[in-house]
Amino acid sequence: MKIALFSDIHANLPALEAFLKDVETRNTDAIYCLGDLVGYNIWSNEVIDEIRRRGIPTIAGNYDWGIGRSSDDCGCAYKTDEEKAMGKVSISYTNEVVKDEQRAYLRTLPAHIRLEYQLNHDRRNILFVHGSPRKVNEYLFEDRDEKSMLRILEQAEADIMCFGHTHQPYHRILNSGTDGSNHFRHAINIGSVGKPKDKDPRGGYVILTINPDSTVTDKDSIKVEFIRFEYDVEKAAKAVEDSPLPNEYADMLRNG
Amino acid sequence: MRIALFSDIHANLLAFQAMLKDMDSLRPDAVYCLGDLVGYHIYPNEVIDEIRRRGIPTLKGNHDEKVENIITNAESLNEPGKKYAYHLIREDNKEYLRTLPAHIRLDFKMNNEKFNLVFAHGSTRTIDEYVLFDTDENYVLQMMEEADADLLFVGHSHKPYHRVIQTDGRFKHVINLGSVGKPKDGDTRGCYVLVTLNNDASVFTIDCIKVEFRRVEYDVEASAKSIEDSQLPDEFAQALRVAK
Repeated sequence: MKIALFSDIHANLPALEAFLKDVETRNTDAIYCLGDLVGYNIWSNEVIDEIRRRGIPTIAGNYDWGIGRSSDDCGCAYKTDEEKAMGKVSISYTNEVVKDEQRAYLRTLPAHIRLEYQLNHDRRNILFVHGSPRKVNEYLFEDRDEKSMLRILEQAEADIMCFGHTHQPYHRILNSGTDGSNHFRHAINIGSVGKPKDKDPRGGYVILTINPDSTVTDKDSIKVEFIRFEYDVEKAAKAVEDSPLPNEYADMLRNG
Repeated sequence: MRIALFSDIHANLLAFQAMLKDMDSLRPDAVYCLGDLVGYHIYPNEVIDEIRRRGIPTLKGNHDEKVENIITNAESLNEPGKKYAYHLIREDNKEYLRTLPAHIRLDFKMNNEKFNLVFAHGSTRTIDEYVLFDTDENYVLQMMEEADADLLFVGHSHKPYHRVIQTDGRFKHVINLGSVGKPKDGDTRGCYVLVTLNNDASVFTIDCIKVEFRRVEYDVEASAKSIEDSQLPDEFAQALRVAK
């Protein structure tokens, strides 16, 4: 079974369209969206409409959570005053453009989706969250201490956890087996479709393949592919520049 | 947010196509399938292919699981009997069925308060347990407690219902989706469910969701006839005509 996972579109319609075109060529059996449909670009409604039209199961990101409740706080961890000021412009602009029906959709999105497997007499859970299982806006970076990462996975009863939010893709395999036995857990950050932050301006998503003989004692029994696809970055950047949004967001798209 | 849920298609392609047409016209925001794609009819590949093509998140039903233990050889398709329905399934679709999950849960945090939807084929305990309209209330509550489920959606019995059980000021819901391709409630039309979640849905209000049972007409006679023209037992055709 091949599952496509994508997130952090951030109102970037050209990137979403390119993603959908790419994923259609890969014969996936299911698609999930791990949130942050809106903010930072001009097509928040259009992105929501396309995801709804396709009936893609979706969880709420921190930005969706904020806009769904007409809040002026997206839960983003901006560091400098300048970033904070730009963030304010983006959330108030997004609150202005998002229509009632689209806002109601964001508001009723689930926080997590969990798939419970019983394969080969083995229980195994795949958990989808936006930031972390504890908080929608917690950043789980690749360099997080191994013990802390394992604890998060164990507490959430997740054997495979997929998430977004940092816009920096990675796959970490951790072993939580005791007494010499193996129990492999996977932490997979799926990157970002519409606002990558790993110096590669192309959009990114993940295809997760589950084998029928998959077990927790074999660390290679799932396959994680990081797909990158080109899209019209200039069109998305230009749209930012022609809008009330800060021009810096356009350069971020150009530079990844 | 509106969610469409369906199950128990049992390879009945005509019923499935009619249901998809009705569902598409309602434009749900998400769609889930609670299993039993195969068995009893001759179109398992067509049904599985369409579910995979649409990328619908799907659970494993007891008939989907049964496929794992059926051995197919060159002669199998010439043998009359029930197993013909499983022998027809292509290898890649068998592999797809083997890797389906048992349950899916959606966890909500609507008003800083947790609230979840749990999907299972039979029950949260086993894939082939029947959770019926009149299953003992305490038994159902205990099972939901164990599974940490506020709203439980199941299939398997082919008899649709929506049951609300009140406990400690909370409302627990059990919804049986009925069956798309093999109804057993005396109504020959296919059945599925459309759920509307309210903005402030909570376990403390009885009307946190709206559950609509959709019944869809399809060409029952053509569907039944194609069973009679196959290696499958004729009683499978008759079951569609009387919905028993």
